[in-house]
Amino acid sequence: MGIRSGMGSLIALFVLLGAGYAFQQQIHQPRQRMFFEEDEGPLPIPPDANEKTEFIFARLRYPSFRGGPLSWAMRGNWTVDYPKADRQFVQGVRRLSRIHTRSVEHVVDLESDDLFNYPWIYVVEPGHWDLPDHQARKLREYLLRGGFLMTDDFHGTFEWQIFTASMSRVFPDRPIVDIENSDPIFHVLYDLDERFQVPGIIRFYTGRDWEYDGVEPKWRAIYDDQGRIMVAICHNMDLGDAWEWADAPEYPERFASLAYRIGINYIIYAMTH
Amino acid sequence: MFDFFFKYPASVFAKGQFVLLASWPLWWMAALMVVGGLLLAWAVWRQRKRVAGRARGLRLAALWALQAAMLALLLLMLWQPALSVSTLKPQQNIIAVVLDDSKSMSLVENGSSRKQKVLEALNQGLLASLQKRFQVRLYRFDGKLERIEKLEQLKAEGPATRIGENLAQVVAESATLPIGAIVLISDGADNSGGIDLETLNLLKRHRIPVHAIGVGREKFDKDIEVTDVLVAQRSLEDSRLSAAVTLKQRGFDNTKVRITVKSDSSTLSAQEVTLHGGAASQTEAVVFNTGPAGLKNLRIAVEPLPGEENPHNNAVSRLVNVESRKPRILYLEGEPKWEFKFIRRAVEEDRSLSLATILRTTQNKIYRQGIQSPRELEQGFPSKVEELFGYQGIIIGGVEAGYFSVTQMEILKQFVDRRGGGLLFLAGRSGLSDGGWGRSALAELLPVILPDRKSTFRRDPAQVELTQAGRDSLICRLEEDPEKNAERWKKLPHLADYQDAGEPKPGAVVLVQALPTSGGKLPLLITQNYGRGRVGVLATQGSWRWQMLQPVADKSHEMFWQQLLRWLVQDTPGRVVAMTPKPVLADETKVVLRADVRDKNYLPASDAKVTAQILGPGGLAEQLELAPDPLTPGTYLAEWRAEPAGAYVAEILAKRGNEELGRDVVNFRREDGVAEYFGAEQNRELLEKLAAETAGAYYPVSNLSKLSDQISYSEAGISMRETKELWNMPALFLLLLSLRAGEWLLRRAWGVI
Repeated sequence: MGIRSGMGSLIALFVLLGAGYAFQQQIHQPRQRMFFEEDEGPLPIPPDANEKTEFIFARLRYPSFRGGPLSWAMRGNWTVDYPKADRQFVQGVRRLSRIHTRSVEHVVDLESDDLFNYPWIYVVEPGHWDLPDHQARKLREYLLRGGFLMTDDFHGTFEWQIFTASMSRVFPDRPIVDIENSDPIFHVLYDLDERFQVPGIIRFYTGRDWEYDGVEPKWRAIYDDQGRIMVAICHNMDLGDAWEWADAPEYPERFASLAYRIGINYIIYAMTH
Repeated sequence: MFDFFFKYPASVFAKGQFVLLASWPLWWMAALMVVGGLLLAWAVWRQRKRVAGRARGLRLAALWALQAAMLALLLLMLWQPALSVSTLKPQQNIIAVVLDDSKSMSLVENGSSRKQKVLEALNQGLLASLQKRFQVRLYRFDGKLERIEKLEQLKAEGPATRIGENLAQVVAESATLPIGAIVLISDGADNSGGIDLETLNLLKRHRIPVHAIGVGREKFDKDIEVTDVLVAQRSLEDSRLSAAVTLKQRGFDNTKVRITVKSDSSTLSAQEVTLHGGAASQTEAVVFNTGPAGLKNLRIAVEPLPGEENPHNNAVSRLVNVESRKPRILYLEGEPKWEFKFIRRAVEEDRSLSLATILRTTQNKIYRQGIQSPRELEQGFPSKVEELFGYQGIIIGGVEAGYFSVTQMEILKQFVDRRGGGLLFLAGRSGLSDGGWGRSALAELLPVILPDRKSTFRRDPAQVELTQAGRDSLICRLEEDPEKNAERWKKLPHLADYQDAGEPKPGAVVLVQALPTSGGKLPLLITQNYGRGRVGVLATQGSWRWQMLQPVADKSHEMFWQQLLRWLVQDTPGRVVAMTPKPVLADETKVVLRADVRDKNYLPASDAKVTAQILGPGGLAEQLELAPDPLTPGTYLAEWRAEPAGAYVAEILAKRGNEELGRDVVNFRREDGVAEYFGAEQNRELLEKLAAETAGAYYPVSNLSKLSDQISYSEAGISMRETKELWNMPALFLLLLSLRAGEWLLRRAWGVI
């Protein structure tokens, strides 16, 4: 062990002791509860929940990745923000567009063919998904038939690797590329040339808009052979939180507004391309 | 037999005039008949007591009637009955022997050709017997008439048979020649569609009898003939076309044959059909794909079967111009929906269709796709004729009728009626009845009477089923085989929704029905023609499930929409439409060129200058002007002769002053040596009719013994009247004897002797 490596170990020890102290302080001195931590109870079922509509917000249920650090593994899965984000978002879809939309979401998975009745699906925290081969095949078939997948709320390099590990089983030969500003998906209803990072509620813990090393928001996609987006990948942003807390005065309006615009654009794109 | 009893042939009685040669007045005969009758009555009356039985009166009357008839007959014979008939003067008249020298005369039947049978008949006495009494002129004919000196000049190679035209030419020669009669020797297999009334009247006016000698089998024992093929002359690339192939067969009842459609060396379709029993024609629809753009010379054939007597009549040619144009369709949709996306995708895969769309995304915004310039559809749905008429088809999705202005409604109607475009209505929350279309200005165009109520749109599942018309329609053809196609439709995933479209109007065609899971049947796809265009209603917006619920390799959804939209636009005319009624000229040269010319607003342009630039085989180039048809405004016609065989193209250009109204191209093709093999059985009906109409007679080639005698009775040429006495006819004496014998037998039976 050289002098440099010995110094490194010492610094690491201090950091660890500091973190332990801070955690102790948090336990012994209770902080003020955040707006999103208040228990609101189960959401009421809207009276028109069974209305037959053209568009239904379909949320993908997926098996989670079980490797990696325990604290990370416990954090994300398909139910994050469910169902409040979904229902608040479709309220916006109803108000801001002509899309005939149901007031409640629908959960689909890659085991049943029910998936094919919903040409637009949303997946949250795909940085935690782990699609077995048969589910990857079904998702590929779904997308090639004309289905559209929107991913959201995954951050940094590690979650990107988890995401792409499954996605590469869906499309081993199709690249993931950045979406050009000129792509119709950013103009189909709203012109979204000026986009910025939409943070999740972690902002209220950390004071930062990013998570892990996901500093820069990325709008990426997988295209089909005709140049149409099949998978729209929102990386390093948390549109779901923005939809979920759009009704909270504490959550900045500009983030919620952009999140709605992106979501509505993605739906209209999926219904026109 | 007739001649034995009546002394003369029947034709003498038909042509002759009845006369009485005795110089005594006719009333004497009548008076003698009355007096004789009374005396006979008195004589019979006196014998009444010798007649027994209850029917005594009737028996006496019968005896009197027989005696009176005998008396009347005797008196008639005394007055010397006779026939006055016109006959040709020997050696002073010409008999025109007109010989069919077309290719069908070379057909071999029972070991010898038709031509050989004719030569045998002529050489074995007929010609000699005619020459004994008349001057004989020999003519050969096919498409044209030609005088010949010797029978050896017959070749039986002529490409056509035109009986009427050539007889008229013979009649024309009679102005300077004493033609007493025409002997026509032919199989009657005329290619010009028969003998026209004008020629018949000409023959009647000149009183020239035509004696027709029929050659050839009246019915083949074993033959299949393709009598007609109907197929569109134009098509878009990669389109499905249906050829209606009409067949006639003999001797192959219930036999399976294969109909093929070939373009050059490639086979476009091969379909097996079973020939019906009986002599009636049958028509089979053969579906094929036209493939890439270009002029296609299609050969539609029934593969020959062993034992066919005439294998040359199994195939015909047709021209189809596969155009590389891309008709434009404008699709207006009232709200985002999955159907919209998948229709767009289906059209994107079709290189022959182009789709511009307007989607109402929000209350205040529209989203345009497929536009060719930023200004296209900038103001939304067109309000000007020039803009709307630039499209060939319009789709109106779930948009309420109230969205359209009065002007837009009016030009939409004119789009179909005058411009000849296709208009398709789709279902939706704001579509059809729920969008108020039943009470709109366009209700008249619709192929259905929409229900007079709202809430007709339902988001409930429904299966689909083809009607019989749908089975036959190319719009619904997902499989080449009709049965497999119907099964495939039944297996399609259910629709996501449907709408009650009401009742089909008379003249509308229901192609597909919806079978809601709640029960019943509703018309789903209904079409009809309106004015120059066509209108359809598809009462669902849920066919997208055929795409999402089936494997990606399944193309049902794409094919259905491509075929439906091709139906919508492929017959939408341009401002100039050139056509010819016969794109394939089989052994004929007359070409009729026709052009329908419209101005910018698609109103008939009667003041245009229309020219045709014709290019033909061997560098042939010719320009001609088309003349306006006085009966149809905007229509221009020209006739032209295409002499050399081969492919021709005519470009029609219409101008008004210096302004070009439009141009179009029409293709046609001349073929030689084809027509003669079709309809090659002896057309005895035509020959008999020709002979009967001209006071001639029909003879089969195997029985010509009476021809040379009967040919003398003619009023044409140099003729004289002959009197043929009838009093000494064996038939009259036989009748006298019968009357007398009858009376004697009755008297014996009744005991009145």
